[in-house]
Amino acid sequence: MSAVAVSVLVFLFMLVTVLGFAAARWRRADLTSLDEWGLGGRGFGSFIAWFLIGGDLYTAYTFIAVPATMYAGSAVGFFAVPYTIVVYPLIFLFMPRLWSVSHRHGYVTPADFVRGRYGSRWLALAIAATGILATMPYIALQLVGIQVVLQVAGFGGSNAFEKDLPLIIAFVVLAAYTYSSGLRAPAVIAFVKDTLIYIVIIVAVIYLPHKIGGWDHVFRTVQSSFDSFNKENADAIANKEASGKSFITPPIAQWAYMSLALGSALALFMYPHSVTGVLSTRNRGVIRRNAALLPAYSFLLGLIALLGFVAVAAGVKVDNPQQSVPQLFENEFPSWFAGVGYAAIAIGALVPAAIMSIAAANLFTRNIYRAYFRPDATPREEATVSKLVSLVVKVGALFFVLALSKSFAINLQLLGGVWILQTFPAIVVGLYTRWFHRWALLAGWAAAMIYGTWVAYDQSSPAQKHFGSPLAKFPFTDTLVYIACTAFIINVLVAVILTVVLRALKVDPGVDQTSPGDYGADVGDADVEAEVDPHRPAHA
Amino acid sequence: MSQESARPAPTRRRSTGLWVVIVVILIPAVVVPLWVPLYLRTDPTLWGFPFFYWFQFLLIPCAATLTIVAYLLSRTAERRDREDQR
Repeated sequence: MSAVAVSVLVFLFMLVTVLGFAAARWRRADLTSLDEWGLGGRGFGSFIAWFLIGGDLYTAYTFIAVPATMYAGSAVGFFAVPYTIVVYPLIFLFMPRLWSVSHRHGYVTPADFVRGRYGSRWLALAIAATGILATMPYIALQLVGIQVVLQVAGFGGSNAFEKDLPLIIAFVVLAAYTYSSGLRAPAVIAFVKDTLIYIVIIVAVIYLPHKIGGWDHVFRTVQSSFDSFNKENADAIANKEASGKSFITPPIAQWAYMSLALGSALALFMYPHSVTGVLSTRNRGVIRRNAALLPAYSFLLGLIALLGFVAVAAGVKVDNPQQSVPQLFENEFPSWFAGVGYAAIAIGALVPAAIMSIAAANLFTRNIYRAYFRPDATPREEATVSKLVSLVVKVGALFFVLALSKSFAINLQLLGGVWILQTFPAIVVGLYTRWFHRWALLAGWAAAMIYGTWVAYDQSSPAQKHFGSPLAKFPFTDTLVYIACTAFIINVLVAVILTVVLRALKVDPGVDQTSPGDYGADVGDADVEAEVDPHRPAHA
Repeated sequence: MSQESARPAPTRRRSTGLWVVIVVILIPAVVVPLWVPLYLRTDPTLWGFPFFYWFQFLLIPCAATLTIVAYLLSRTAERRDREDQR
């Protein structure tokens, strides 16, 4: 434990804490309404949105987990790059429509839209519950990210309480400023986070390979290290007691690579926190412009992934691969800069954790509390409930990580990706057509949720008996594909077949609150204001 | 988009062709990164990076450029839509 590194980490953490509380005064508004607290007044321009959405989608866990898989010898982990390339054209096409219809009708969550579009409380409940379920373990994983950094930095005493205390303090502080400043807090902190991350990574990818002998050397060392591992453990790999290591994705895994990239890209903007980020923008143009500018982060992510290889080449030896990159910083950087590196990752966890808890709280408030308990809740009451729920969600996440096992959170996060993709037909297809019947969508969702959960549970790996892998054999073949994609196909099949049946039986399709013109509306049109008036009742 | 064109407006929207162009421009940005066999090899290397890695890095600015072009076209298309509405 280096005193210098820890001081730098603590100093930067205190800096963002001050910023988080001060954010309440930024673009001053009445924070007692949900539009202001939960969507930052829906007035963020391109510049802020770039930091906010970037800070939101590229989480601390990504920065820890992606290089960890590379370090552990699975080049399939590099799918994060095609995944974050593919996602932006999709955001470009789909999200402006969601933005428009949400602004016309005052929707705050994706489930609000589904409710308005299909006139179905049950479908909206399914969408909201899926969102909350998928988000909770994701928040917990942000904690895992902080925890890994704290461990490498050398925090932690002899007993469990002392060991967890820094994490608890970090989270209590986060909960407090999210409560008081809402979405403004992560928006402000995202500036610091991203600046730190960019500095650390640019320095890391130039300085580290230079120090240990160039990228050429890094790749050659990794290749020979993996080859000799495979040779020494050939028997164990053949018996499936160990996993073989690969330097680039092996041809047998190409469908896995492709389906992970596609499935994750489609799932990413179904997550409530990405919808929250997108709805907080000022107009449709901001979303499109950002779809073109956000890939800068993908470049960064690719470089971070390769740090896993740099760690191998630099001879980093850790039992938990998640510690490889922080340990690399510790070994190779001067201690003050290692502190900056730790801070970049730890603060990187705070931004998405704040946005995710806000998004989950909004879902609860709008689609469970308001829909089932208090249909006539005022905007003020909504904001109060959301603030409280954001606290509950974070305490829940903390409990998850500290009381239950960490691998439980990781398993659930894996399931979360499978689950959240199943809201795609109702939300994205719904942006284009009302052809699907609401009950067919619900049935497709249910079938896919059951299939996905069951298959994910059934996967074993050398390390785990259940939830061993996000990949499973595609039905009737031996090809491994991402479970979320298979479940998605089942989802669509069920929805199509039942829609035909239900339409033939003339089952009530529900009332569509929206009209075609709503999907192209922009700032300046009737009923769409640059900043939403917090006192105007949302007509959901 | 099919729904919007099904609107009672008697004339075809002037922007429809432009929206088709935008979608066509964006298709490679989705398809090429997912076309894994295209880059599943080590050679040729660039500055020490195996093809598998540098090709995927190269795709990022390419996809971003296509998206910028699509963004610029979308501004024209939306302006036309707006003029038509008046």
